[in-house]
Amino acid sequence: MVDRALTFADPEIVKMLKDDFVPVAIDQWYQRQQKDAEGEFYRKIAGQGPRKDFEQTTQGRYICTPDGQLLAYNNNRGPERIRALMKAALADFDPDSLANVQPIDDGPPDAGYVRLPPPDGLMLRVHCKVLEGHEPTEDWTAVFHDAIGRDNAWFTADEKKQLVRLMRRGGGSFPEPIALRIVRYHLTDFTRGEPPRWRANEVKSWSLRIDADGEVTGKVHLETADGTRGYQANLIGKVVLGDDEVVQFDLLAKGDFWGRGRFTFHAPEGRFPVAITFQMADGTDEADHILPHGAKGYLPGYYDLTN
Amino acid sequence: MRNMLAIGVLMSLVCPAQAIDELTTKDLQQLQAALAPKDAAWKSIPWHPTLLSAQRQAARQRKLIFIWSMDGHPLGCT
Repeated sequence: MVDRALTFADPEIVKMLKDDFVPVAIDQWYQRQQKDAEGEFYRKIAGQGPRKDFEQTTQGRYICTPDGQLLAYNNNRGPERIRALMKAALADFDPDSLANVQPIDDGPPDAGYVRLPPPDGLMLRVHCKVLEGHEPTEDWTAVFHDAIGRDNAWFTADEKKQLVRLMRRGGGSFPEPIALRIVRYHLTDFTRGEPPRWRANEVKSWSLRIDADGEVTGKVHLETADGTRGYQANLIGKVVLGDDEVVQFDLLAKGDFWGRGRFTFHAPEGRFPVAITFQMADGTDEADHILPHGAKGYLPGYYDLTN
Repeated sequence: MRNMLAIGVLMSLVCPAQAIDELTTKDLQQLQAALAPKDAAWKSIPWHPTLLSAQRQAARQRKLIFIWSMDGHPLGCT
């Protein structure tokens, strides 16, 4: 979030990334662990930097050659440093030195880290915003005040069919796996980093219903055992069917949030209004294909809420 | 345990249960629009989804690779 608002909003950095570099954005949690060509290439690069322990985070900004030679590393979020880093790397760079570098094939992926969208499933873009409550600040944390978090929600082809059948039958309560996936993994404040998911026993109550016309209504009360983090919200939405296919899926949750997670510092004090929206993804945004945060580390567990 | 109970009691005083506003179709439309992705400089950058797809382009075009490597996906939930 901070990088997007600062470093990658800098016109000179953006231009260099478009013209002079090949940019790639990754969640290094995967690459530092996966046992395949992608992971090996990442560890070759990161292993030349200061973060060599692949049991720990290796996050940062790396500049390297396509044969895996690390030229620069920095984990600072200031655009000035990143700009200088990029310029220095380009100044010393001779493209002809790469004349014999060969492309690397993907090879077989590490099955434990495959993170592909469900075939013929329902893919939703999820956005989140703290609507008010932040105290004014003049430092870098000000970027959080208007931040809009982005995540994805995935549902299998079978779950999509269940939803269609439910509407055709006149409506009713959402199938529990679909509803609880929305509730536990997506109704959270993800505007300032990776949020915690809601545990099963933190779902105090939920309802999510759809009628034959696709009108969706609902209500949730989520709260940790110690009461320090929670979300009470109402939901409203609209699902439109084509020929036995979902062609529109709009959903809004809006209510009071309080507290923060281990990695989501700088939350407003007390209760603050949070809105979360869901809309169908059309696949045109590269981010449409990113694994839902709730599925990180174990995609089957995202679909199977008996865990 | 006593501390946890104390925190819970404190939070219930600080954050008492409140009635949440009912939502309307207008709320849905307005907030869908307000939270929809806006044009942003970082979105205009042609980020590769994997390191090896970037490597192949860089090898072909004889360019350097810039890796934005984060906890959580930089283009998603971070």
